[in-house]
Amino acid sequence: MNWLSLAFPVVYLAILIGSLSTFSYVYRQRRATKAASLAPWFPPHLQRNIYLSLLHHEPEEGNEKSAKVPDSVLKAALLRRATEDIHRIIAVRNAKQALSTLLQKGCVGDELWQRFLRAEKEIEEELRDVVNEANAFAPGWGQNIFQSANEMANNAMIRKRMDELQAQATAEKEWWEKRKATIQTNFMKELDEEKSASTLSPTARSVASPTGTSATGKSVSDDDAVIVESGGPKESQGGGKKKKKGKH
Amino acid sequence: METPDTFTLLPLRLDAGTKAISSSQPNPPSSLAAELQSLNTLHRSLLTLDTPHTIPPAPIPVNPKRSAQVNKLRESGNADFRKGKYAEALKLYTLGIEMAASRPPWEPSGLVREELAGLYANRAQAHMAMSQWPEGSIDAQCSVELKKVGNAKAWWRRGRCMVEMGRLEEAREWVEEGLEFEGGEAELKSLMGEIMESLARKEKAKGKK
Repeated sequence: MNWLSLAFPVVYLAILIGSLSTFSYVYRQRRATKAASLAPWFPPHLQRNIYLSLLHHEPEEGNEKSAKVPDSVLKAALLRRATEDIHRIIAVRNAKQALSTLLQKGCVGDELWQRFLRAEKEIEEELRDVVNEANAFAPGWGQNIFQSANEMANNAMIRKRMDELQAQATAEKEWWEKRKATIQTNFMKELDEEKSASTLSPTARSVASPTGTSATGKSVSDDDAVIVESGGPKESQGGGKKKKKGKH
Repeated sequence: METPDTFTLLPLRLDAGTKAISSSQPNPPSSLAAELQSLNTLHRSLLTLDTPHTIPPAPIPVNPKRSAQVNKLRESGNADFRKGKYAEALKLYTLGIEMAASRPPWEPSGLVREELAGLYANRAQAHMAMSQWPEGSIDAQCSVELKKVGNAKAWWRRGRCMVEMGRLEEAREWVEEGLEFEGGEAELKSLMGEIMESLARKEKAKGKK
């Protein structure tokens, strides 16, 4: 009797604690698997894959001699990998501030934050790995491989932007050629109007005659039109330019 | 996605003679093809190095050879410009731009910026001297893009080109932005005044019609 009355609360407690701990275990495990299955922050690291693929390069059948990938290729691949890491670490740093603010305000879900934290951890791991690899190629390279990679990333950005801007040149030029042609025809129209309105003065004729030939010789007439059209502003600008020459 | 301990093995092939890497798939994805191409370019430029272990040296100090060449091209371009040989000057500036842009990628990008900004600004001036406004405006824009502060000349040149092409609204916006960066640069201010005047004149002409 005495035993039974004591056993009852013990069994009760055991069941309670057991079910709670089972629940917590299952819940945590589910969350862990969910976090692991979250979409990664970054796309697959192509440069890393290339580097490691080269490192593990297998000889092709038939020509075993050429199979070994030279170190210089591996170094180049490692540099490309480090450059991509620079892009990623900049992206992570830029996102962190904004994302934590958004998280505090409740604008973004916890899932996004989890993905971000994982990306951050991965990139740290990745940097350490690259430094180790670099040191294996040449002692001390790990210290400045990311300096070089940073310059490479910046230089690539500059060149891309310049190419983009310079690519606009042809379109701009075409637009201007068209524009010049319309200005010229308008100008000629005005001249014609003047001609019909009043008797021809000798100066008007001398201006009209070169443009008059434009119907036949187009390339020549374009230039003429520009000289006539932009004669005023060009002269005024010439003065400003001379002033600047000394300053190069 | 690969975890830190795994990676995706890509089907790559090494050319025995040139040591160029290519994909052994018949139609590799374009991103992979582009990446391999830049890898091979980088590899070739790495091979020209004569440092121990053939690794790129730290960005500083810079090899002075290329800077000297770029400077020389710019100086001779300037000399031709002063003599009125604009086409020659243009050619020299273009060469200088190519020289500066083909600097090995691991060398300091700040230096590349500085050199290119000057060269583009000068080339814009040469274009302007030959009334090639569209090219001039784009070169000046490039220069500004590379160096926004302390580059009043380039700001002014694009503004001027815009005015010459009759794009007054764009010119106004551009010069306004330039004034924000350059503060009270006298030439920019006078250009601004000129733009406002012509805009007002245009308005008037429209009103008359």
